[in-house]
Amino acid sequence: MNDEHTRARFETLMLPLMNDAYNLARWLMRNQEDAEDMVQESYLKAFRFFASFQGTNCRAWFLQIVRNTCYTALGARKLRQKEVPIDEENYEIEDPSPLPPASLIKKATVEAVRQAIEALPVDFREALVLRELQGLSYKEISEVSGIPLGTVMSRLARGRHQLYLMLLERKEHGQL
Amino acid sequence: MNCQECHDFIDPYIDNELDVAAAILVKQHLRDCSHCQPLLESRKALRALLNNPQLQFEVPDSLRRKIQSALRTAASSAKHQSGRRSFIPWFSIPLALAAAFTIVLGLVFLNQGGMLAPSRGNALVEEVVSGHVRSLLATHLLDVPSTDQHTVKPWFDGKLKFSPPVQDFTTHGFRLIGGRLDYINGREVAALVYQRNKHIINLFISPSEAGRTEAVQSFEKDGYNVLHWDRDGFEFWAVSDVNAGDLRAFADLEMRQA
Repeated sequence: MNDEHTRARFETLMLPLMNDAYNLARWLMRNQEDAEDMVQESYLKAFRFFASFQGTNCRAWFLQIVRNTCYTALGARKLRQKEVPIDEENYEIEDPSPLPPASLIKKATVEAVRQAIEALPVDFREALVLRELQGLSYKEISEVSGIPLGTVMSRLARGRHQLYLMLLERKEHGQL
Repeated sequence: MNCQECHDFIDPYIDNELDVAAAILVKQHLRDCSHCQPLLESRKALRALLNNPQLQFEVPDSLRRKIQSALRTAASSAKHQSGRRSFIPWFSIPLALAAAFTIVLGLVFLNQGGMLAPSRGNALVEEVVSGHVRSLLATHLLDVPSTDQHTVKPWFDGKLKFSPPVQDFTTHGFRLIGGRLDYINGREVAALVYQRNKHIINLFISPSEAGRTEAVQSFEKDGYNVLHWDRDGFEFWAVSDVNAGDLRAFADLEMRQA
């Protein structure tokens, strides 16, 4: 029942998650205004479904709502822009040998890193943000994103690889 | 362990997601293989960059306040609908009884199947209204903004297990402005959005029993008018702040034009 007691309980559990929720939405939507809308909508949704929440991991549950809310919004846009989805199945692991030395990217500025993350395909960006910036385990990521553990692993591997190459490229163009 | 395996496991390795035995194998390989060292270094350098707290966005205070007040509104509208047990002033008891009686009557009248399960009572009307309010609050009114029914209808294909009937009534003063996905009673439904002067009408559509047709029933919640009907196996909920007469005209159009 959605009475004052429920609201108090909901707020105690859920309001501390606003930072995580906002960050996830911000990285997925890539702009502040949309992120704010998504977070607000997610809170109202979560409040409505709060009674049916049976699990113990509030954070994963709520981030899943945020993620899905963002995807619904992004999906509507993608349909208009006809973005090409990434090919999850036909992924071949890159040859590990010719990686240029890591010291090259050590001085990357915050802004350069931020732009590189934002340039990643949304699936990789999501996995990377959940893991590196929000510290979720593979199991939690699999729950939030609704994908198997193996896919979490491969998205992280590909996301990190791409991010690294992007930062190196920026370095070459003197943009770090 | 060979280099390819090391490459496969490097990510779960640095994420502490491998079991001890596998982690030892990766560690040994990395120690002995100059070929794979740069890979580990690249991952470490990346992690160092991503660990920077400056990458985190700060929640604007305005958003915090907005959400808290939206929750309070949502909670109090739910409270008014569910009836409170504590802090009930004496004079409200007859009112509450009258309201309860009305709800029971409504239930007896309504509860002949469809979306309305017996235990949920008029929670569904609440849900329809809060779905409407939410669509206006969070600026998430439309997933597919289009005044063309031939654009809106195919948009739902593949997103829903059914294909909702989509009609435009612009000539009658109810302009179709788009659609979106929504959830009512735990199910995905199609929401069509119409505009009547400055007012927004949400029309929620989901499948009911095959061929079922049922006359319009009306409800009122928190100043919103809500209509429910069944037509040809679809269940419709229309909700809006337009006056009851206009909303009824809208429902009649929907039923007639089919």
